[in-house]
Amino acid sequence: KTIGLQVSSGLQDLSLRDRGGRRRDFHDLGVNTRQAMVHVQESKTGLSGRMIKLTTNHFRLTSRPQWALYQYHVGYSPEMEARRLRSALLFQHEEQIGKTHAFDGSILFLPKKLENKVTELFSRTRNGEDVKITVTLTNELPPTSPTCLQFYNIIFRRLLKMLNLQQIGRNYYNPSDPVSIPNHRLMVWLGFTSSILQYEESIMLCADVSHKVLRGETVLDTMHSLHSQVGEERFRDTCAKELIGLIVLTKYNNRTYRIDDIDWDNNPKGTFRKSDGSEMSFVEYYRKQYNIEISDWMQPVLISQMKRKRGNIQGSVALIPELCSLTGLTDKMRNDFNMMKDLAIHTRLPPEQRQREIGRLLNYIQKDDNVQKELRNWGLSFDYKSVSFTGRVVQGEKIFQSGNMFDYNPQFADWTKETRGVPLIRAVPVDNWLLIYTRRNYDVANTLLQSLFKVTPSMGIRMSKPNMIEVDDRTEAYLRVLQQRVTPDTNIVVCILSSSRKDKYDAIKKYLCTDCPIPSQCVLARTLSKPQTIMTVATKIALQMNCKMGGELWSVEIPLKQVMIVGIDCYHDTVSGRQSIAGFVASLNQTVTRWFSRCVVQSRGQELVDGIKACLQTALRNWFKWNKCLPSRIFVYRDGVGDGQLNALVNYEVPQFLDCLKSIGTDYSPRLTVIVVKKRVGARFFAEIGGGLKNPPPGTVVDTMVTRPEWYDFFIVSQTVKNGCVAPTHYNVIYDTSQLKPDHIQRLTYKLCHMYYNWSGIIRVPAPCQYAHKLAFLVGQSIHREPNLLLSDRLYYL
Amino acid sequence: MDKNLQEEEFTQIIKFKPSLNKQRHQFVRDLVEKYKPKKVADLGCADCSLLRMLKFCSCIEVLAGLDICASVMKEKMHTLSPLPVDYLQPSERSLTVTLHHGSVAHKDPCMLGFDLVTCIELIEHLEESELKKFPEVVFGFMAPSIVVISTPNSEFNPLLPGVMLYRHPDHKFEWNQAQFQSWALETARCYDYSVEFTGVGRPPAGMEKVGFCTQIGVFVRKSPRTGESVQSEKPTEAVYKTVFKAVYPSLKDEKYLQTAVISEVIFTAQIIKHRLMSKREEYGDDPERKSKFQPSMDCFSDYLGKLVIEKNMEPFVNGNEVYIPLATIFSFPKVNRLCGTFEKLCKLIAGKVTLSSDGSAVMLNTEYENEEN
Repeated sequence: KTIGLQVSSGLQDLSLRDRGGRRRDFHDLGVNTRQAMVHVQESKTGLSGRMIKLTTNHFRLTSRPQWALYQYHVGYSPEMEARRLRSALLFQHEEQIGKTHAFDGSILFLPKKLENKVTELFSRTRNGEDVKITVTLTNELPPTSPTCLQFYNIIFRRLLKMLNLQQIGRNYYNPSDPVSIPNHRLMVWLGFTSSILQYEESIMLCADVSHKVLRGETVLDTMHSLHSQVGEERFRDTCAKELIGLIVLTKYNNRTYRIDDIDWDNNPKGTFRKSDGSEMSFVEYYRKQYNIEISDWMQPVLISQMKRKRGNIQGSVALIPELCSLTGLTDKMRNDFNMMKDLAIHTRLPPEQRQREIGRLLNYIQKDDNVQKELRNWGLSFDYKSVSFTGRVVQGEKIFQSGNMFDYNPQFADWTKETRGVPLIRAVPVDNWLLIYTRRNYDVANTLLQSLFKVTPSMGIRMSKPNMIEVDDRTEAYLRVLQQRVTPDTNIVVCILSSSRKDKYDAIKKYLCTDCPIPSQCVLARTLSKPQTIMTVATKIALQMNCKMGGELWSVEIPLKQVMIVGIDCYHDTVSGRQSIAGFVASLNQTVTRWFSRCVVQSRGQELVDGIKACLQTALRNWFKWNKCLPSRIFVYRDGVGDGQLNALVNYEVPQFLDCLKSIGTDYSPRLTVIVVKKRVGARFFAEIGGGLKNPPPGTVVDTMVTRPEWYDFFIVSQTVKNGCVAPTHYNVIYDTSQLKPDHIQRLTYKLCHMYYNWSGIIRVPAPCQYAHKLAFLVGQSIHREPNLLLSDRLYYL
Repeated sequence: MDKNLQEEEFTQIIKFKPSLNKQRHQFVRDLVEKYKPKKVADLGCADCSLLRMLKFCSCIEVLAGLDICASVMKEKMHTLSPLPVDYLQPSERSLTVTLHHGSVAHKDPCMLGFDLVTCIELIEHLEESELKKFPEVVFGFMAPSIVVISTPNSEFNPLLPGVMLYRHPDHKFEWNQAQFQSWALETARCYDYSVEFTGVGRPPAGMEKVGFCTQIGVFVRKSPRTGESVQSEKPTEAVYKTVFKAVYPSLKDEKYLQTAVISEVIFTAQIIKHRLMSKREEYGDDPERKSKFQPSMDCFSDYLGKLVIEKNMEPFVNGNEVYIPLATIFSFPKVNRLCGTFEKLCKLIAGKVTLSSDGSAVMLNTEYENEEN
């Protein structure tokens, strides 16, 4: 058997050198969508708004002029199989090849060109066998080639390693100065994310601070405390819910594993087959291999699926809970307000501090001799000052509510105060409703009721007395009441829950979203127990109830006519059955205040896109019903696209959209715009205000310098944050026949960030994306199947 | 030099299982288990594979490697760095791993004071001049309690296919059993060590006479370390270059101990508070949860039950604060083990954990902040 020795593009082989051998192209290099859009060939930048001076966390890469990377193919005669041997034989000739090189066993990268196109070298193995090595130049890579960019990234990772940073997942962290949060047994490591990419005008390093949350306890510790929390009965179930999907570190190697399953029938005394075919127990293995004594022999075994072959180990790996430490946050932790607050103190760095931390990394790089030497050898250097440029702040929107018009303070990006006591655009009367509570919460229920009666009249909501129903605090009791008392005339069901136990909530939502489609509102008794906040809470609840019944709160001016806005987001359920859920939301009316919502529940192996196509079809049908015509423009805001998935979106999903539109009718050809929305981006912008760095104000648009030349993309900072750095949202227009100017697309996008009814302020993404997210989350977390379509014209999931 | 690779080539016929290299490593490990040395040096550590194994031996507090080739050491030296988990759960013992670039023919004070020095497949790579200086450096200068030297046994070579002269082109010589033993006995005599011979890689049945494939000499110093005599007589200059150094986080280091103690104290206090609060929050709160309580794995609840019997150790609520006596927290095994004494506990958490005015109890707020939505 011989190793395949074809001369490849180098890209794949290069990524092999990267840790873990990931072959995914995280930066979506080589997906060039702009070239197909004629109207943005010349310029994709907008003009409106006032200028603002910005700096960012990008640093220019300065390489020597004509810098190129030379790619060689290395062949051996006779064939040598072991990679280490191949390296050893090749580098016997270091004086010819040079000390600076990157070699993966068959492809060699050098910063200099060898004298001849083909160089023949002769080495001798330890067994005295003579080997001819042929080094052939296959490629001269200009600095902008994808391979070269990939290569820069690998070199940079080498540097981080040289700085003694620890790699966890994709990023590097400094373990020597951790922050410990004993209240929650958490540790936070400060680290960096880095990527080197071709941006609009130059190749730049984008460096950002990253925080890794680690837990100072083993998986076994966590199991113990779960056991004491939930008891024997629900123990296994809870463990599965809490642990599956988490990433663990082990005591004995530097790898991370994802927990995919828990094998309760196994324990450390169980055996496994080693690569040489012999059987060995875990206890014995860890004792022999690492001198580690496993103390608890009754613990179950964790299973981690290997994504790819690693040597000759394939399939799954068994891990011992006692030897694994957890990393990251669970959903439950994310929902723990106190925990997130304690974490935020350490992880939410204000602009100045964030920029200082990034500066520290560059300082390390600049000061470290070895790092500098490595950079010099490759002929690379960085600008140690971050890039500055001008962005634009677009005009604030006017908020319309029942004939009233409001401006909001751009500093807060919130109009709660301004619109208080003003009638809603569409207030749905609450004539027939249920209020369900436990005996203990009788007082709380009355308080809520009185408060609702106080706040609703000014909103224009007519509210009758509810059917007050007392239940036992058991899931079955709630369900029985719902089955007996909910009628088709019921407008809404309000349940006061005494604890945030998820199973009760899930059961109620499941029943009222699928079997018996009636809007519902759950409230925690605790939330209602504080007299000083009850009016605020009641106001929010009233607004939420109104939306769930099909009400409308406010609007902004949408100048385009006959337009349908679509939002799509995905939720990936990692626990039960690993299903993926796509939330799909489409506007129904001219003012973009009513939405049609559906979701696609996709089990393993199915493609989400088929379901999305069906959603679009029904959305168009509904739009027709509401407007007596079909939309002439469709904007799709597509969220939930992972790194490296852009290609699939462009090549599969967009054609499906077009197909779907074609299937509506031969004479129907609306203008379609597809925009990929990305919340998780490395870029950060800082406004230079009064000599210091501040968060840029909402409405800041960036479409130069740090965008990508091959895309029609831009950033918008739409929300404000109380502490920390505001994260810009990245918008990538991957398909556009709208003929609209970039200005208009940007403005429309920003307007839509004002339309999320669960928050009277501007949010991070266009409202349809947030609705789609909410819907997908509810279905993925609680309902697990598609909700009843009778609810689809209301924001029942809000 | 790459021992593993080259041996793989001939193990195909005479198959050693586990591989010869693994057997040599296992031999060293058994020796470590037996003598429990605190400081171990591996001369000719190459790709650090032996060191990587030894770092898991819990008796070792200082590990050093020495090799003449810096690049081969550097290639995998990062695998000797502490793992993330070592930072998350610092170990009781301290451990420092250092790699030096230099020759065994030169003396360097950084090699003094070791308990065990291993020279695995090293001497056969030495030039004659280096081999001559080797005993004086290792036995005379370093003078550890134990020295392990392994080298190929040339009598075994005819059984290894493909071996013409030596097993490895870089070998300067390969000794038969008599040659090795006479060198070893002479060396031992000269520096007052006793030596015992053994080996790994058993010969096939019927050919026992050829001896082990790898011959090993274990040298034990006869006289207890006189210490200063040798070292003080001529202070040597440092000639090795340190290429790598890793200090493992350890609870012996006050910084890590304090973090661990604070973390454990607050966590324990939180658990006690949680218990206390849920008890107060009416018994009949949640029947689903109460009925199925089986404390088989539930060490905490059992433990608390026992504790509360004692007076002055009961946590209590006063207004918005929960008071959890330090004595109660100290009685938890984990806290107890970490601190050792109550005084130490008080000292370590002073100023870092909110205490009652008399300093006898940890104070926590009962306020539960509500999340909106």
